[in-house]
Amino acid sequence: MPKSRRILIFSFILSILFLELGMKTTLLFAMPPVKREVLANGLVLLVSEDHSLPSLTLQLLVDAGSRRDPVGEEGLSYLAARGILLGTSRHSLAQINEELDFMGASLEVTTGRDTIVLGLRVLKKDLDRGLDLFMETAMKPSFPVEELQREIQQTIAAIQSEEDVPQAVAEKIFQRTLFSNGPYGHPVVGTKESLSRLTREAALRFYQTYYRPNNAFLTVVGDTTFAEVKAKLAPLQEGWATAQIPEKHFTTQFAKGPEAVKVNRDIAQANVILGNGGISRDNPDFYAVSLMNFILGGAGFGSRLFDEIRVKRGLAYSVVSFLDPGKYPGSFQIVLQTKNASAKEAILISLREVERMQAGLVSEEELKRAKQYTIGSFPLRLDTQTELAAFINQVEYYKLGLKYAEEFPKLIDAVTREEVLRVAKAYLQPQSYILVIVGNLKEAGMAEPSQ
Amino acid sequence: MERRSRLLASSARGMVWPCLLCSLFLLPPAEATLEQEVFEKVLPNGLKVILLENHRVPLVTFQVVYRVGSRNEEWGKTGLSHMLEHMMFKGTPKVSGSDFSRIVQENGGQHNAFTSQDFTVYFENLSANRVGVAIDLESDRMHNLILREEDFRTERMVVMEERRLRTEDNPKAFLMEQLEATAFQLQPYHWPVIGWMEDIERFTLEDLKAYYRTYYTPSNAFLVVAGDFKKEDLLPQIEKAFGSLPAGPVPDQKRDIDPPQAGERRVYAKREANLPFLVMSYHVPNLKEPDSYVLEVIATLLADGKSSRLYQDLVLEAKVALDVNTGHPLLSHDPGLFMISVEPLPGKEVGEVEEALDRQLDRLSREPVEERELQKAKNQLEASFIFGQDSLFHQGIVLASYEVASDWRRIGDYIPNIRKVSTQDIMRVANRYLIPDNRTVGVLVPLPAKEGKLAPSEPSIKERLVR
Repeated sequence: MPKSRRILIFSFILSILFLELGMKTTLLFAMPPVKREVLANGLVLLVSEDHSLPSLTLQLLVDAGSRRDPVGEEGLSYLAARGILLGTSRHSLAQINEELDFMGASLEVTTGRDTIVLGLRVLKKDLDRGLDLFMETAMKPSFPVEELQREIQQTIAAIQSEEDVPQAVAEKIFQRTLFSNGPYGHPVVGTKESLSRLTREAALRFYQTYYRPNNAFLTVVGDTTFAEVKAKLAPLQEGWATAQIPEKHFTTQFAKGPEAVKVNRDIAQANVILGNGGISRDNPDFYAVSLMNFILGGAGFGSRLFDEIRVKRGLAYSVVSFLDPGKYPGSFQIVLQTKNASAKEAILISLREVERMQAGLVSEEELKRAKQYTIGSFPLRLDTQTELAAFINQVEYYKLGLKYAEEFPKLIDAVTREEVLRVAKAYLQPQSYILVIVGNLKEAGMAEPSQ
Repeated sequence: MERRSRLLASSARGMVWPCLLCSLFLLPPAEATLEQEVFEKVLPNGLKVILLENHRVPLVTFQVVYRVGSRNEEWGKTGLSHMLEHMMFKGTPKVSGSDFSRIVQENGGQHNAFTSQDFTVYFENLSANRVGVAIDLESDRMHNLILREEDFRTERMVVMEERRLRTEDNPKAFLMEQLEATAFQLQPYHWPVIGWMEDIERFTLEDLKAYYRTYYTPSNAFLVVAGDFKKEDLLPQIEKAFGSLPAGPVPDQKRDIDPPQAGERRVYAKREANLPFLVMSYHVPNLKEPDSYVLEVIATLLADGKSSRLYQDLVLEAKVALDVNTGHPLLSHDPGLFMISVEPLPGKEVGEVEEALDRQLDRLSREPVEERELQKAKNQLEASFIFGQDSLFHQGIVLASYEVASDWRRIGDYIPNIRKVSTQDIMRVANRYLIPDNRTVGVLVPLPAKEGKLAPSEPSIKERLVR
């Protein structure tokens, strides 16, 4: 905070877009070559050499996200993922932290609905030690009770802290409402109530079930070779055994709108989310939907929502729409913040723009720009080791194939205005949306607080 | 929370380590080759052009930096720099505002801008073969911006929404604003970059026009271009587009600096919030003083990584804090604030956290740091220096920040100066700057929600919305 606050980014819209759709919407002509092999224990190893920097990035993706949380134990996937960082059978938490810091390395875990990713950034000269610690963390966590308890307390505190971020509050409510009680409906970190029920045994059981080589991919980007990584990995993987991974397929039951959830807060802005159920990543309409969304609100600068709500009327600093497709269908959302008194107007304009997407073809010019940007900006999103490693893992996770990068421009180019219209009609629901508002409801003219 | 100065510094090695050949030999990063990698030319109209060839990926980041930020503003018109930044997207006679974005996007590029206390940056990131697009657009709006009343009135509403989003409804940001207004009395870091709401309401179109004429000139700007180009090809294009713009006046950049602080100050901000927040800030010099490199190391010792002193103590052992961060303004134009911020865990008192912080700062000023711990901090700084060069955009911003603070060439001093820091330096500098008389403490005091507020986890108003 001290320093970041001093810089005011003109529009953070783009960064949100990249987080959600970064790898998925755009591809490329310039993806560096990737070598792939399935190792004896089922682990998929992917290596992309980049000798221009004396450093490496490793990302181990495990298909062990929060959709696998047992009912009543929401947050278990998160706890298991955080738990592997808390010590191993050979090293205590303090020893691991000290060693990582001494190398100037960072070892972190990213958690999500579908997958968790263990990431390491390390200098080339420390690769041996870094790789040792990395694999030890993934394969031999000890889940010390006391550290796990602290982790749970910290997570509960973080949830409480997030209550002071109105956008986060709105997002949480939107997800819970839209996905009802489905596997995507709860926060990845769980809730205060569910977290207090979690135990070391449950985390260990979850870990032993899902953290298996045949349920994971390891991507390495940086100053190394495939042969070097493979040779170094071999002795480190002994005892990491294949196992049957249970998979409970599910069909998402999205809440049926229109439905509005309003939370009264004494704040200056109404934080609005408007949306409905979306698509899964393997939906063949993915490309048409991405372009449709770009035109509606994904583009940031120059999208229809941005022009109508920000440029013409000055009603919001940030207005954006996005889809978050996963292994299973995710959501479609329009997210904006506006002074309470403008909330109704901004919502009505948003709905009108959604209806306009369904009412007629987008212009030739709009579609052309969406395509040119989507194809042309691809290399911008893979220009760091971290971004490239994440992309390679996602390509593997969604079975897109290592030729995906070459095929992508064709997939985008093939989308027609008629298809954009068809998917707008199919996936946008201006008559039966879910609306969440966190703001001062009285100022917004939306019902008095009921107490 | 970001530690910008160190993040920024971290990519500086990009300047000395970009060639593909050197890495084949796995040599330790070279040190004194910066001047060979970065090229500088000042055009006759005063525009400085800083070029860094880096052929890792076929991309270019094109950055136009104006030496104007909130430090250049005056009381009553705070936030004017940022307001003008927004207006820079409203078009010229040649290119309308909406065309600007359209053109960049059609060329597969991303563009944006930001304002800080010291400077304003406009950038385009795009494929190397499209760099001409950025040159045309940026040279045009450096001189030909149209400022219209109607655009201004609408855009001011956007900026007010931005302030509501960033500050009014963000209790921690609100505290930071109060803290800076307390720590700085004379120098312009007193007010927030986005400006006070009352001032934003007061701006006029004439204010913006005068500001644009004063600060948006070749003699008050410089370019940073980093990426996959040959300077022999790029420079003539830049000269052609920017060279004919009139130089304009050289603005007076001198501003007052606060005198030494004579005793601790405290500020409390009461807001509806769930958890308190504590910030301790100390007046410190920037990179023009050698002590600033010692403070870089101290910031790392205290809170960089999970084995750092404050993280280890407050988060892992005493379990009083959710998180702890340090920030050090190595690259600010004027002396800034070294900050330590802590979010206490629920049920923990701010006083308890403050005592723990005091204990650690006291230890720093009394006990020599062990060699291994000092080496660890230096390793961390050097490693992030290398990791930082992974991004072209980041490299460009680092160069720009050094240039604003002093001179881009000082990037080359960073690692040597970090390596020089001794255990005695740490004690000396801690005793000089990190003392109660030199600090301003900010505390966010959470107020309970007012009557009638619904528990956010149990939205009880649930209804069908009738349109």
